[in-house]
Amino acid sequence: MLQTRGLSRAFGGKIVVDGVDIDVRPGRVTGFVGGNGAGKTTTMRMILGVLAPTAGEVWWDGRPITAEQRRRIGYMPEERGLYPRLPILDQLVYLARLYDLTPADGRARGEELLAHFGLQDRTGDLLDSLSLGNQQRVQIAAALIHRPEALVLDEPFSGLDPVAVDQMIELLQREAGDKPLLFSSHQLDLVERLCDDLVILSAGRVVAAGTVDELRSRGPQRYRVVFDGADASTIKKQRGITVHQVEGSTAVVDLDGISPAELLAAVTAESRIAEFARVHQPLSDIYREVAS
Amino acid sequence: MSDRPETGRPENGRMAPWRIVAEHEVSTQLRQKSVRISAAVMVLGVIAVIVLSSIFGDKPSSYDVAVTDAQTSAVVDQASQALDEADEGATITARTAESEQSAEELVTSGEVDAALVPSADGYVIVGDRDISSELSAALATAVQSTVVGANAEALGVDLTALQAGATVEHRLLDPDAQNAGARQLMSFVMLLLFYITAITFGITIAQSVVQEKESRIVEILAAAVPTRSLLWGKVLGNSLLAFGQIGLVIVAALVTLRLTGFDDLFTVAGSTMGWYALFFVLGFVAMAGLWAIAGSLASRQTDLQSTTMPANLLLFAPYMIAVAAGEGVKTVFSMLPITSAMLMPSRMAEGSVPWWHLLVAVVANVIAIVVTVRIAARVYERTLMRTERRLSFREALRLSD
Repeated sequence: MLQTRGLSRAFGGKIVVDGVDIDVRPGRVTGFVGGNGAGKTTTMRMILGVLAPTAGEVWWDGRPITAEQRRRIGYMPEERGLYPRLPILDQLVYLARLYDLTPADGRARGEELLAHFGLQDRTGDLLDSLSLGNQQRVQIAAALIHRPEALVLDEPFSGLDPVAVDQMIELLQREAGDKPLLFSSHQLDLVERLCDDLVILSAGRVVAAGTVDELRSRGPQRYRVVFDGADASTIKKQRGITVHQVEGSTAVVDLDGISPAELLAAVTAESRIAEFARVHQPLSDIYREVAS
Repeated sequence: MSDRPETGRPENGRMAPWRIVAEHEVSTQLRQKSVRISAAVMVLGVIAVIVLSSIFGDKPSSYDVAVTDAQTSAVVDQASQALDEADEGATITARTAESEQSAEELVTSGEVDAALVPSADGYVIVGDRDISSELSAALATAVQSTVVGANAEALGVDLTALQAGATVEHRLLDPDAQNAGARQLMSFVMLLLFYITAITFGITIAQSVVQEKESRIVEILAAAVPTRSLLWGKVLGNSLLAFGQIGLVIVAALVTLRLTGFDDLFTVAGSTMGWYALFFVLGFVAMAGLWAIAGSLASRQTDLQSTTMPANLLLFAPYMIAVAAGEGVKTVFSMLPITSAMLMPSRMAEGSVPWWHLLVAVVANVIAIVVTVRIAARVYERTLMRTERRLSFREALRLSD
């Protein structure tokens, strides 16, 4: 498990990250969400040791992380960077060697990763001759080159088209396996689709953290009731609910003191009900709530 | 994340990161055509300078002299020996002609430098338009000693007794002053080559640092290996390239000197080239830190022009001093770090240098290396992630991490 405890960072007196505690559990995808300037990138840099924290620690399996353990983290920085004028396989081999792989192993691994993205025929091409999407693919290959034991990816999906996003997700799911994976993103739909756990950062502090299901159930228990033909406004006389919206035969209500079963029993006693369903609050709503 | 290395990670004999970085630097540079071409141009340039000066410069002379009989031929041989003693490597070759007339024809056609023909009261040296004074003096002396010897024998006089006390020898108080012109030329050429090589590979260090900042790959590298390893690797890789180039130039110079028959210069050069190489290595490593600082203060390639200014000046100064300054200034600067790299070897090539001057120069350089390398490591580590803009040196030192 990869954890941060009280991680803080100030730049010239300005606190950018303030006592951040994150748990990235093995085998779970943890989404790291927050607005611009919330401190996500700074936090990730401190996890990797590229930036020294002003206070706090990074832990691996419950103990302060060692330099050697840090090197086993695969990292994709927000500011993408590889050598523009070097063939793509060569740079992967170079990075692999810096991570202690043998040149032959690094080459094999690089070819395997490039082949996953359909770049097997372009291994000798210079990076800057590739499209931006393909450069991004090489970048993720660079993060995975040394078979890392944990992944920290800063905005891995930004700038990718939907096909590339799917390829990336497929690769990450295969590579992540039972490893801890932390990724930051602005694309909440992707976060919702991928993440098991979520950490929401605002102005340098963690404002919400937990499993995606936990966070979703933090809000009101909202249900949609569709009456079979009848006008939904009859629901207004029910007790123990707050009516959120009524339109035609459909009503959306928040439970306020009664259980879903009680509500269902009450409405079915009076009318024929076509649909009765829990309305999950979209992540974006939760995000707006906690981040504002 | 076990502590035990896994498959694919060499268990033992794992290569230190700075070595991998150095290797990467070397292979990246050698891959570039411009680097290979400039090295080739430099080597060819040195060869050309030496070959050209062997063609146009004063080299050990060789003369051909036409003779008509065996007796005269013996005189020429004697002259040749005498000339060789005075000017090592110089020769006079006798070429037998059938008659005086054909000997003169050889002179006219330029096939021989002169003809030596017997006459009624001795010998005549026949030249076309002029006769080399060196050649005519050697021939005249040989004629005289041969004829005087023969006459003495005929008269029953002991020639040795006759000549006793008449020997005149030359002795130079500064034996190194010989070939002074050639030595100065050589030291100037070496100075120029050192200057160019130091600038070329110094700028390469700065560029290599800023390129990684500019392309942002430095963040990945810094996550993979300690930043100091990156710095050492770069300095080492580019130093090796610079030493390699200087080594090539020195070998090319020595071989060419040998082949073109500059034997004197070859001996002088051979003894000072080692010092040239030593001072170049010390001076370059002492500068390497400054180049790395220049690279890490910049955020883009274009910033290099201003951040490399101090290093450029430091390199240009000794060059100017060597060309323009007086002896005293030159002596002082030849003992200071970095400037000594170029000035000391050129002093040595031009004349002898007291041993303690050498010692001071070497020790000063070693101290400079330790200091610059420490400052460079500090600045490099602190500025690596500052990619937004160019930093000043003072800012960089003030940064807290």
